[in-house]
Amino acid sequence: MTKFLATLLATSAAVAVMSASAIAAEMPKKIGYVTNYATHEWYQNVIKGMQDRAQQLGIELEVRDANLDVNKQVSAAEDFMSRGVDVLIITPVNEEGVVPLVRRAKEEGLPLVLEGNPVKGMTTMVAICDYDTGYHAGVEAGKYAKGHLGGVAKVMNVGLPLLSATVLRSNGFMDGLKTEIPDATMVHDLDGGGNPDRALEISAAALAQNSDINIIYGINDSSSQGGLQAWKASGRSQDGLLVVGTGGEGLGFINMMNTEPSYQIEAAMFPEKVGFTAIDAAVKLFNDEEVPQHIVSPTTPMIGSDGWKQYYSVDGTTRTINWDAVNAVQPAEQCMKTAADL
Amino acid sequence: MSEITQPAKSGPVAGRLANNSQIVLLALLVVLCIGISLSAAQFYSVENVIAILRQCSLVLIVGAGMTMLLIAGEVDLSVGASLAFSGCVAMDVTNKTGSVFLGALAGILFGGLVGLFNGLVVTRLKVNSLIATIATMMILQGGVFLYTREAVQNKHQQPAFTDISTGYLGPIPLPVIIAAAVFACAYVALRYTTLGRYIYAVGANAKAARLSGRRPEQLKLLVFVVTGLLAGLTGLILASLMNTGQPTAGRGFELTVIAAVILGGTSLLGGRGTLLGTLLGVLILKVIDNGIIILRWDQNLQMIVPGVVIVLATYLDLVRRRADAR
Amino acid sequence: MPQSLSLSAAAGPKRPSEWLRALFRRNEIALLLSLVALIVFFSLASDSFLTTRNITNVLGQASLAMVAGIGVGVLVISGEIDVSIGSLAGAVGIPLVVIMNMTGSLELGIAGALLLALCVGVVNGFLAAYIGINSLIVTLGSMFVIRGAVYLYTGQKAIPDDLMLESFYQIGNGRLFGAISYPALVAIVLLSAFIYLMRHRPFGRKLYAVGGNPEVARLAGYDVKRVKFIAFVICSLLAGISGILLSSRLGSAVHVAGLGFEFQVVAAVVLGGVSLAGGIGSLFGVALGVLILSFLANGLGMLNIATEWQLVTTGLIIIAAVAFDELKRRAK
Repeated sequence: MTKFLATLLATSAAVAVMSASAIAAEMPKKIGYVTNYATHEWYQNVIKGMQDRAQQLGIELEVRDANLDVNKQVSAAEDFMSRGVDVLIITPVNEEGVVPLVRRAKEEGLPLVLEGNPVKGMTTMVAICDYDTGYHAGVEAGKYAKGHLGGVAKVMNVGLPLLSATVLRSNGFMDGLKTEIPDATMVHDLDGGGNPDRALEISAAALAQNSDINIIYGINDSSSQGGLQAWKASGRSQDGLLVVGTGGEGLGFINMMNTEPSYQIEAAMFPEKVGFTAIDAAVKLFNDEEVPQHIVSPTTPMIGSDGWKQYYSVDGTTRTINWDAVNAVQPAEQCMKTAADL
Repeated sequence: MSEITQPAKSGPVAGRLANNSQIVLLALLVVLCIGISLSAAQFYSVENVIAILRQCSLVLIVGAGMTMLLIAGEVDLSVGASLAFSGCVAMDVTNKTGSVFLGALAGILFGGLVGLFNGLVVTRLKVNSLIATIATMMILQGGVFLYTREAVQNKHQQPAFTDISTGYLGPIPLPVIIAAAVFACAYVALRYTTLGRYIYAVGANAKAARLSGRRPEQLKLLVFVVTGLLAGLTGLILASLMNTGQPTAGRGFELTVIAAVILGGTSLLGGRGTLLGTLLGVLILKVIDNGIIILRWDQNLQMIVPGVVIVLATYLDLVRRRADAR
Repeated sequence: MPQSLSLSAAAGPKRPSEWLRALFRRNEIALLLSLVALIVFFSLASDSFLTTRNITNVLGQASLAMVAGIGVGVLVISGEIDVSIGSLAGAVGIPLVVIMNMTGSLELGIAGALLLALCVGVVNGFLAAYIGINSLIVTLGSMFVIRGAVYLYTGQKAIPDDLMLESFYQIGNGRLFGAISYPALVAIVLLSAFIYLMRHRPFGRKLYAVGGNPEVARLAGYDVKRVKFIAFVICSLLAGISGILLSSRLGSAVHVAGLGFEFQVVAAVVLGGVSLAGGIGSLFGVALGVLILSFLANGLGMLNIATEWQLVTTGLIIIAAVAFDELKRRAK
């Protein structure tokens, strides 16, 4: 009998404790995420990070893909609203194109977290600092150029003018580089379309136009890969070349760091961590907690052929993030420059 | 006997007509090259010429198939998606078997299978090829992600694989040699064989060709398969060039190819067109593309200029044909 | 003579029983059944599919493709095609938003947008119908030129709606009586008007005749070039209207808006039984084609089907539907 009572007491105590913590942070049941391009490795890993975090917290996560179509994105968000999710997360295909969506979510009292790009009227956004990411990689590139390239820096930027984020990365890279090498120049500012085949084609023409390039900067891994492959295809040796990629989207950069001697710096942006942070932000919004307008997800340059091993391990065709190491990277309090400064 | 002479006639006639327009295209190409090189001497550097030729060869290989397909009165919009998928297959099979030969074979055959599928849907199910191949494009774009979630990395590190795109035979890059070989075969087949004449005949008038005892369906199926195989081959070269199998590669490639073929004077309605014209069309489009970079012009022009050139060239062709008819 | 050649659709049957029989004879009934089957299937498979809110949502989403689809349907029936509608739908947002930002007037903005659409229609129609350049080439050219011009003008950035006009927000996002969205209303009105035009006005008969057999139509005294030219203008204007609604849904002029829209619309039109050879098909079929693809996309989303499977399924369904249609036509 006493044993039974004791058990009862213990159980109710446990229930009380659990409900107390539940009051502290109520969990949304269902979160809907409209991504802009689910088949891209970057977003696959953002989703992976979201799923990991949602599972830990016992939240159901549903994902819809706009597949780079602004109109489809609006439709997908509408579908989520009519299904009744508790929080909505959106990566805008275009930041102007979701302004009405932000308003509609507000009218319905649906908490909305934006990922990647700021939108007029939003409550909060989870994003890396694109300018800072480029900047810190630029500083490292400057140091490398001093040590290995005779202090000369002539850059081919395999860029993407389509997005403010990617323009910020390129600007940040050049500014960071100039802190070490003041007379660094951007010899070519290219639109590589962000995909490797176009980047390769454009880079091949640009390399032929001006041959004294010694640094290739890519706004994502596909762009740096396109630039590097164009370099190799033209029969040049990789001695005296530095390739800097951005993103750390998938396996591509790991493979290149392992096999290409010139691929020495990767500005890692940890997509998994972005997803992780977005879920945490969603939970906070759901509980009406105070959140900053821009929740920064950390980035850091990885240097040398082993630089990535601290943060990732690879088994066959899957990579696993080392959460302890990534969570230890401190995000900036505030971005040095944002799209508003362009 | 008249059944045979009729299709036989359309070959030389089409050839003569196209010869005229080819002179215009050649002149345009020469003007472009001179114009660009006057303002940017780098245009004629060995490196740039090789870069242009390498890009041209990718388009030309598929363009050879597409020319035959358009002449036969059909079209294939799935080649871009198909070459991305083929590239992934080629890299993946090379990774798994360690044999570049098997990987290359698998990639090319995969493209051929896609062509076979397209051909069967068009000839057996009677679906309009424009719609059928848009549908195939969607199926392939979805299917490639079911096959691999991410870009297929080069794990085998076999030099032979990268040599397919960056190797040389003497001073000439391998892709250019491959493209030249494909072009030569297609040229001979289209110009000097009965098969080629039937392709013209089928495109010019499928019913007449059927009445004469030919089987236009079988012929079209064959041309679809050939185009598919060539897309697979291009996918292999592109995978080698990028050193990965990229599932997102080749977006819009089909439009570049079709634009080049049309620019070369091949009719969308079938029955008329030449491979020489396609060769010139490919060269012109790629020289424009390259020239805009070399001249450091606004890259948005890379979209506008080809659009204008194609409409203009088609118009000039039309005017000339009307003049000839008078 | 043109009537007999220009198929049953042009000779509008009057009595309901005849109308029903005509429906059975043609392709619409099969499409209607497929649509119903699709809706029943998704209702059973997902409990959030058959709700008033979701159904009205889908109708609103379908209306953009519907409006553009009517135009493409008219054009394809006349024997031509337009693949520049996606670029145009994106481009009309620019005069719309820029003029609105300058003048504060939605009406002037819409006038500017329609003027641009009209110009594109006139150029496409002139080059294709009067000069005689293949319409696929003409519109492929204008597809690139328009998109490139948009990129040049905007510097590849979206143009925001600075004044945040309430009327601009409402046309794409508002609902009449809180139920039917305005885009759906626009689509229904336009669809009814054009179905009437195609079935009961001489112009409809001319379109079928011109698309079915231009030579015969010419001998019958129809001005083939003029009919085709008007069809191009109609197509561009409707793509423009679709683009205005899109721009309101996006609250801005987005430079990448409408990319790939032409493929979706052409696929829906062909799925709806309109033959690319011209002269065959109906706008009711086009509407069903659009609805089938929209409900399919929505339902597959509700079932949490990944993009890649959605692409594969949609592709297979298009092939199956068109093959079925063609084989049935041949069997007759």
